[in-house]
Amino acid sequence: MTTSSGNLAQKAVTETAIKIDNLNKWYGDHHVLKDVSLDISEGEIMVVCGPSGSGKSTLIRSLNHLEEYQEGVVSVFGQPLSRDRQSHKIIHQTMGMVFQNFNLFPHLTVLQNCTLGLTWLRKMSERDADKMAMRLLDRVGIAHLATRYPGQLSGGQQQRVAISRSLAMEPKIMLFDEPTSALDPEMVKEVLDVMIDLAKTGMTMVCVTHEMQFARQVADRVVFMADGEIIEVGPPEQVLVNPQWDRTREFLQHVL
Amino acid sequence: MDDLNVKNQPVLKQFVPTPPRPPHKSERGILGTIRHRCFNSIGNSLLTLCVATVLFYLVKHVLDWAVFNAVFIADNRRQCMDISPDSACWAGVISWFNGLIYGRFPVDEQWRVNIGVLLGLVWLLPLMSKRIPLRNFILLSWIGLYPFVGGYLFLGGRFGEELGLVHGAMTCLALAFLAIIYANWILSALGKKGLNELFVPLVSRLVERRIHLLSFVAVWLLVALVIASGLSQVSLEPVPIERWGGLFLTFIIAGFAITMAIPVGVILALGRRSKLPVIHWLSMTVIELVRSVPLITVLFMAVTLLPIFLPADMEFNKLTQVLVAVCLFAGAYMAENIRGGLQAIPKGQYEAAATLGLGYLHTMVLIILPQALRMMIPNIMTSFISLLKDTTLVSIIGLFDIMLMARNIANDKDWVGMHTEPLVMISVLFFILCYSMSQYSLNLEKRLKVDR
Repeated sequence: MTTSSGNLAQKAVTETAIKIDNLNKWYGDHHVLKDVSLDISEGEIMVVCGPSGSGKSTLIRSLNHLEEYQEGVVSVFGQPLSRDRQSHKIIHQTMGMVFQNFNLFPHLTVLQNCTLGLTWLRKMSERDADKMAMRLLDRVGIAHLATRYPGQLSGGQQQRVAISRSLAMEPKIMLFDEPTSALDPEMVKEVLDVMIDLAKTGMTMVCVTHEMQFARQVADRVVFMADGEIIEVGPPEQVLVNPQWDRTREFLQHVL
Repeated sequence: MDDLNVKNQPVLKQFVPTPPRPPHKSERGILGTIRHRCFNSIGNSLLTLCVATVLFYLVKHVLDWAVFNAVFIADNRRQCMDISPDSACWAGVISWFNGLIYGRFPVDEQWRVNIGVLLGLVWLLPLMSKRIPLRNFILLSWIGLYPFVGGYLFLGGRFGEELGLVHGAMTCLALAFLAIIYANWILSALGKKGLNELFVPLVSRLVERRIHLLSFVAVWLLVALVIASGLSQVSLEPVPIERWGGLFLTFIIAGFAITMAIPVGVILALGRRSKLPVIHWLSMTVIELVRSVPLITVLFMAVTLLPIFLPADMEFNKLTQVLVAVCLFAGAYMAENIRGGLQAIPKGQYEAAATLGLGYLHTMVLIILPQALRMMIPNIMTSFISLLKDTTLVSIIGLFDIMLMARNIANDKDWVGMHTEPLVMISVLFFILCYSMSQYSLNLEKRLKVDR
């Protein structure tokens, strides 16, 4: 495993947002995550890539406990997470997630999707929640669709709603699980543009994606995973242009 | 990179889509449709003519019996026979019509049934308008409070005497709530603040939090007091439950079953999906047990077995026992409908709710159940329709519902042996009721389908 000393030194002053320590997960006999350790600093943009079945989605879903793991510790801002109430609270207050299939609530309008958490969990007044959600929708360029239902929107628009919905809860860390994989080629760009904008605001982001262009443009570090292991970690110019391992090179030849 | 490519290429031809043309002329208009569907070949034309002839004779015979040759005015069955022996004798049904609708409810008090049913409908009326705020709240208030108003009007009695204090108080609160709903509706149409905001300035001087809620409660109690002082002057003739009957009783049983089916069904369905073994097995036992037994048996058990298990001093009337039985029966069926809907919800919905931080109750009430229930509207409505029809079974255990009243006509000395006409009349009545329910369900489905 290679580490990028230069990048870490740069970020040394900032706090560690997520610390993954020796994570191991099995599906029955299948060992999907093998001794995965990784530190993600506050404000860092981390892109996770790798072939399908390499465990990258499982890894990102383990961070907010959508998947259970058998061994290892995930800490968020220094707080080790477990299965208790306190950990759940930390997860929901600090992490937002965007899914491959958007997972918008189809029976609610775009605006209601975004205000749901604000009114029911934050106990915000309807007017304040609407105002905040509209600001976010405006930021991703779909304020004019606020009264529509998700089923009436294109894939790209739906994914932008999903991003606003997560942002409404004001997370410190955003997890993206293949946000553009279910999209038509014409719509990938509009979602990536939103993510690039978000990256510029200093949000900590962990993205599982196959968009190498995006990785090169905004990632601070790229993680390459295969067979449940982290093979390479480093700045994009190192991992993507000049990989140290044959497995990485083989993968890159397929996606680039 | 893409931008560069575009710039280097020569000027492209602009693509303009071809405008759509209207459909082929043979399929246009009503005549076109009929020609296209019914007379598109010699064989089909013959078939159309044959079917049309058969239909014509069938309809003619039915109309002759039921309308053209039927007797509407007669004193007894013999007179009917004399006028037109082979046709319907509606005179009997007409003379018993009151009984079919109200059962043996005293004639002088029947206005109370009318008012009660009307109030129930009026309460639900605001749900038709999309602009009314808190529509779910109105529906909940109907479920929780309307039974007290209905009970008061149907049972009658005087406050504090035949009518229990709790029941009386709830009746006043219910009526007050209804009054506030309507006052607010009118006030909002006039562009004014709701009645419940009346005390906001006063309350805000006393407390800092929950001002609107407290103001609402204050207004509610005040209106209820006014109504209570009015109602305490009135004394309604008590009508025992044994005298309830006819379509009115059918409405009460079916209405109760339909309203309770969803909550009971949701609880049982969620229980069956629960990971806690005790709750899981308990719900499953109830569902499977009740579903595997005919409704008649459930009704008999409720009337004959329940009193044996209950302590001797606890005595329920037959109607209460029947209501409990029907409610359990409806709930068990509904539970399986709802479980089907729950299974159709993708896992991603739970995950999205979880990442937002919603707990079990929030996830279920806000995300999962609304979708599951919408998805199952056709099945739920089918259950409701069969419930409405199944309630006629209560005649077997001696409740004078519309079915038993109809059979009583044949025992009347003036109308001895008249079985067909009352049953036809009931069929038509039930068809109208059930068909409107199914139409409403289609309408509901269409209205809620926008999102898919």
